[in-house]
Amino acid sequence: MGKRVYLGMSGGVDSALSAALLLEQGYDVHAVYMRNWSRDLPGFKCTWADDLADAERVCVTLGIDLAVWDCEREYKETVVDYLVDAYARGYTPNPDVMCNQTVKFGTFAERAFAEGADFVATGHYARRTTDDAGAAHLLRAADEHKDQTYFLWRVAADTFARTIFPVGDIASKAEVRRMCAERGLGVERKPDSDGICFIGPVGIRTFLLDTLERRAGDVVEWETGRVLGRHDGAFLFTVGQRKGLNLGGGPARYVVSTDVEKNVVYVTADRDCPALWCTSMELSDARWIGGAERAAELEGRDLLVRTRHTGELAPARVTVLDDADAAPASRVRIDFAEPRRTVAPGQSAVVYDGLECLGGGIIERSSGDGAR
Amino acid sequence: MSAADHDNAAERSVAPRPAGGAGADAPRRCYLDYAAATPMAPEAVSAMLPYLSERFENPSAPYAAARAVRADLEDARARLAHAIGARADNVTLTAGATEANNLAFAAAEGTVVTIATEHESTLACARAREHKIVGVGTDGRVSPADVADALDDGVGLVSVGLANGEIGCIQPVREIARVVAAERERRLEAGITRPIYLHTDASQAAGHVSVNVSSLGCDLMTLSAAKVYGPKQVGLLWAADGVELRPLVRGGGQEHGVRSGTENVAGAVAFAVALELAEAARGVESRRLAALRDDLERRLLREFPWARVTGPRARKLRLPGLLHVSFPGLEARRLVIGLERLGVSVGTGSACAASRMRVSHVLEALGVPEEVAAGSLRITLGRPTTEADVDYAASCICRVVREEMVRLGIGGPATGEK
Repeated sequence: MGKRVYLGMSGGVDSALSAALLLEQGYDVHAVYMRNWSRDLPGFKCTWADDLADAERVCVTLGIDLAVWDCEREYKETVVDYLVDAYARGYTPNPDVMCNQTVKFGTFAERAFAEGADFVATGHYARRTTDDAGAAHLLRAADEHKDQTYFLWRVAADTFARTIFPVGDIASKAEVRRMCAERGLGVERKPDSDGICFIGPVGIRTFLLDTLERRAGDVVEWETGRVLGRHDGAFLFTVGQRKGLNLGGGPARYVVSTDVEKNVVYVTADRDCPALWCTSMELSDARWIGGAERAAELEGRDLLVRTRHTGELAPARVTVLDDADAAPASRVRIDFAEPRRTVAPGQSAVVYDGLECLGGGIIERSSGDGAR
Repeated sequence: MSAADHDNAAERSVAPRPAGGAGADAPRRCYLDYAAATPMAPEAVSAMLPYLSERFENPSAPYAAARAVRADLEDARARLAHAIGARADNVTLTAGATEANNLAFAAAEGTVVTIATEHESTLACARAREHKIVGVGTDGRVSPADVADALDDGVGLVSVGLANGEIGCIQPVREIARVVAAERERRLEAGITRPIYLHTDASQAAGHVSVNVSSLGCDLMTLSAAKVYGPKQVGLLWAADGVELRPLVRGGGQEHGVRSGTENVAGAVAFAVALELAEAARGVESRRLAALRDDLERRLLREFPWARVTGPRARKLRLPGLLHVSFPGLEARRLVIGLERLGVSVGTGSACAASRMRVSHVLEALGVPEEVAAGSLRITLGRPTTEADVDYAASCICRVVREEMVRLGIGGPATGEK
């Protein structure tokens, strides 16, 4: 029997193929379905029962066991509550980043290793290498269009050291589907999942309004301070947003920033409005896959930064900021080579050196005169 | 058209069949989940078709064509009533059994008494108000004495399904009717004016056992067209004289104001045909299904003597086409997938419970241990089921169960490899 791998199965195409590939490579595969938090509300389509059934189908086909682990509490506490709390503070958080840190490479990995796993595996599009010194490095997937390292920057290197990403080397999603079909796994037609798994098609707005109170406030023109209309809660708006601003006609307007304390949403009709552009960003809660001590080595080097899943890799430099109250190297500034669109606070900025994902942080503010 | 004309096996072939000459690899389709859904009888389909096209008029409209449609609706109602030994004006047509159950509960005041193994549509109605839940024995049957013990001055409704759709036990509704009648007499003597009614959801029983309202002695009875080879979303509630139904759906006052909304004439006509066919074929069909079921049960138990069959042992207390069998230590969900790959569709219990990864409330009420419950299949045979189907299903189940045992490394006491 080969090395023991605990594989997180979602019922989707990528983890299904991962299971098949690991078996073909001779691993002793233990598939686990992580049951996350679900909300019982009209219109909220929580598909976990269907997904579990799909995962089970794949496992029966492959002749392996599927365990169901209840991760509902961890998911609720570290992903859902984090999400709601961040929105309430005017941030636009990225729950998938938290889910990877605390559930998939947190609870799941810990329990798997405690049960004697040699490795954990997931269907993420990412690659891991190990250098001569035995340190793990996280690399972008072969398929740049599906690369998911943007969501993995908070996972610790020693977890990656024992992680396998079976689909990370595959050239394209089409190839993954073809390989699934070849093996008769029966999930090859399943659509790609996107968005926050527990919210589904009703969207974040409906979800937030179920938890947070509506609060009427002004929509203010950024350039003039003129009140253009009313909104029902600044927490519902995010930088760059165009839809959902009920301003009764006129030119298309974009959210420039929100102030949840004053409950004001600032907008502009000018896509070149200086407030929509920045040259630097301040990050908090930064994590470095090789450890905090590695962050200092990055200073002054020409790196790449991504502020959106599969978004552009923008040339930038990193400076570690002094902050006696924060963990070492957890506050940094990113200086871009070229002005960039501002990004909503709460989103992740992820730092790359070539193909390697080095780590990242949570965007606190974007600044600098980016007018062009 | 006389229903008796159709009482022969030649009419049975309405089940989905593999396309003729399917390749060797294409698994045959063998549907064995008739308690979940039945294919419509061809006679019911052809009876309903005209009302979807040329006879589309609103039965409440004043002109002759509409009045003819109205007459057909009332004819269907009369035939439905006749099939259950009732008068037409006591039959309210609904969109299925769930609605009929809701309507029955709305007719009563005070506390409701029901049993732990009822269908969700009954339990949910009970939980929404003052209620008492009576337990059942290990065979799934409720004791009329336990129902009697649950009665007090405040009880306005007792609801006991005639047959349980998951484990197939038939409840002693007639004996419970005597309990309710005795309670009525007691109240009369004691000067207590609150009425008490007995409701029975006979959806799963129809076509298998008698659903004659006077012999059952109930005051309210639910039936579903979908379980008797009629259309889905069609059902009825029969209410005895003197039971006043209260509307849940208000509007134009159709169905004597109890259930507003333009009548589903096509559904009612098809329901009438389907129920007549089911009633006409009942005796012969019940015996045929019971024999097939017994054969399947014997074969599975011969192969896996450690498997467990749930439900009463006596044939007359069981639904004839239903076999509830548990393979302790195995996971039914995996067995279902394995069977699906061979073209065999079976259930794991009521569909709602199965999709939520919860142990069935029915098995819980019977005190079936969780590891036994988790390995439970509910196999239900129906009108199109043939001996060949049972043969095929039995061999597939044996194969899939053995495969799972091998995978889990369970020797299983006395499992002679063939």
